[in-house]
Amino acid sequence: MSDTTHSDAVFRPKPSLPPPPNTVGVVGWLRKNLFGGPIDTIFTVVGIWLIGTLLVTVYQYGIANAVWEANSYRECLDTVLPNGEKVGHSGACWAGVAVWMNQYIYGRYPDPEQWRVQLCLAILVLWLMPFWLPRVTAKIQTGLSAVLTFPFLAAHILLGGEAGSFLMLTSSLALALFVTVWLNVITSYAMNKSVGKLVVELTGMADKDDRLHKWVLLAGFAVVFLGALAYESSWDLVAVPTTDWGGLFLTLCISGIAIASAIPSGVILALGRRSKMPVIRVFCTMWIELFRSVPLITILFMAVTMMPLFLPVELNPDKLVMVIVAVCIFASAYMAEIVRGGLQAIPKGQYEAAQALGLNYWKVTTFIVMPQALKLMIPNIVGNFIGLLKDTTLVSIIGLYDILLMAKASGQDPNWLGLHAEPMLFAAGVFFIICFAMSKYSQHLERTIAGGYGRR
Amino acid sequence: MSMDTSSVDPTSGEYVASTMSDEVVIELVQVNKWYGEFHVLKDIALSVNKGERIVICGPSGSGKSTLIRCINRLEEHQAGDILVNGTALDTNVKNIDAIRRDVGMVFQSFNLFPHLTILENCTLAPIWVKGLPKAEAEKIAMQYLERVKIPEQAAKYPGQLSGGQQQRVAIARSLCMSPNIMLFDEPTSALDPEMISEVLDVMVGLAETGMTMLVVTHEMGFAKKVADRVIFMDQGEVVEQNTPDEFFNNPKSDRTKLFLSQILAH
Repeated sequence: MSDTTHSDAVFRPKPSLPPPPNTVGVVGWLRKNLFGGPIDTIFTVVGIWLIGTLLVTVYQYGIANAVWEANSYRECLDTVLPNGEKVGHSGACWAGVAVWMNQYIYGRYPDPEQWRVQLCLAILVLWLMPFWLPRVTAKIQTGLSAVLTFPFLAAHILLGGEAGSFLMLTSSLALALFVTVWLNVITSYAMNKSVGKLVVELTGMADKDDRLHKWVLLAGFAVVFLGALAYESSWDLVAVPTTDWGGLFLTLCISGIAIASAIPSGVILALGRRSKMPVIRVFCTMWIELFRSVPLITILFMAVTMMPLFLPVELNPDKLVMVIVAVCIFASAYMAEIVRGGLQAIPKGQYEAAQALGLNYWKVTTFIVMPQALKLMIPNIVGNFIGLLKDTTLVSIIGLYDILLMAKASGQDPNWLGLHAEPMLFAAGVFFIICFAMSKYSQHLERTIAGGYGRR
Repeated sequence: MSMDTSSVDPTSGEYVASTMSDEVVIELVQVNKWYGEFHVLKDIALSVNKGERIVICGPSGSGKSTLIRCINRLEEHQAGDILVNGTALDTNVKNIDAIRRDVGMVFQSFNLFPHLTILENCTLAPIWVKGLPKAEAEKIAMQYLERVKIPEQAAKYPGQLSGGQQQRVAIARSLCMSPNIMLFDEPTSALDPEMISEVLDVMVGLAETGMTMLVVTHEMGFAKKVADRVIFMDQGEVVEQNTPDEFFNNPKSDRTKLFLSQILAH
């Protein structure tokens, strides 16, 4: 161009000027978003009035007029307010919820045994804690050990009574793994080395061949395992049949197992559906399409009423086990399609580059495709988990006393006849807290995992 | 970018002396390939000697990318034989793996792994394919990153690098497997003009080490500078192949003349 605006030979960018007034900051935001014009202003005022009325109503019902202490629903209704009127239906009867709280959470799990539920929760939290401890290594192994073996340990603790040899062995294995995981955490922080390395050093094998190390570690773990087995054999827990399990505890039990099993089974099914081997592909496709096309409640009914007819009588399957298997199958089919979606988002060039470097199918999948695909899938996966958690309330229809059926049952108690809204509000609140926390955590995960990618 | 005084303008300057030997490392015999009904490769016959640098050019859709992608089995040929280091490419997975370990490839769109750092991109295959210890793989990776002049980016992610830098990482990543043959599939076509020369510099440097190279490119300056042989393809056939001198100054076929007049016109 001939008309250059820069007279200097050297290019000097112009200095940046401040933006026009009232376009940034609080005033700018208000002008832009709330009072942009006459219509905007009307909507803003009406909106504020609506929100205000709603908040006042909620406050009146839930707090101001609410009854916190009473012995029956009748008493709740007859409580006299400071202005001399009876509460009636203008205030919530939280007293009933408080009385029933224990059942909402533990179902009919006997009071003196409820520490077992709390213990299981504590073990699970402790088991997963190393994930958030930066100095601890072997995070994947920790996670896998928890997902694969914790349910057996929990089953042993929660069921109590005489454990069969299978449950005894698996739960002892779980306990041994749990102890190992925490020994590893302790040595990682106290001595800055993994427990495996410490054992190898203590036995004086450090300078020997790597293959020997494996045997030393195996022997060390065997000792821990035998210890765990001996300890668990000495347990004398009262048997609590699964028919007594209930409340939030049962809901979390079913959905927790379904969620934990969904990712691995979904990944396997999705890979199978994309497989070049026809038998595997057809089987996986049929599994996914069949269980995705059927409502969960149908699968539950089939599992509880029909499956026992086909299975041998001696097996005498537990109703809860059948329900959990059914929910897991359902979850796997949905998860498989989410994973497949994630896999399809990975550009072909990624596979090609990895193949060109000589990586085989499993290594391409493990190191290149899955890490990228799982990151893309986080919002969908968590959305699915939230759906799954809420879907588990369907087990109330086949007579499992989960939190929802417990909430209903409290309204049929002679003392609390008519207590319907409050328990449901309570259950809604519980679900909201859990689901919202999951959603927030997924957003946090997305940010942290995406953080390193830079611009893309 | 390439203000480094040691780098030369890759599109001019002296011809890089060839270290080609008589040993044949790649042999294509009557290779045919179809995409459905479309016949992409028609009776391709080609033999590449150790240390030979071949530039393949031609209009888009002429099958040049498909040709080099057949050499490491990213594409499957349906008729004919391809032998790499005397090993035939067939359905035997072991043969394919052996050949891929020895043949590096650089793509038009870089295809770096975005979830791994530059260093991890370079060490992944040496660790998991060759079984090298991590420390050794990292040492080798740093050597090659220095050779492509970006060791300081090792801890960054691909998304934080410019296109030219990414392509140089892609070259280093391939070299970390110490291949004997390198395939380049239009390595500079996706780059901004300012970044093309930094990648070509690295490729010229690689040619100087005696690497066997098959390069699909439209950079005719590069071809003049390093190629032992230029192959011109059209409609899935090799139309003409010759030394760069003969190819550019004395093209035999009318199709080649037309192609050259079009790409050298601007």
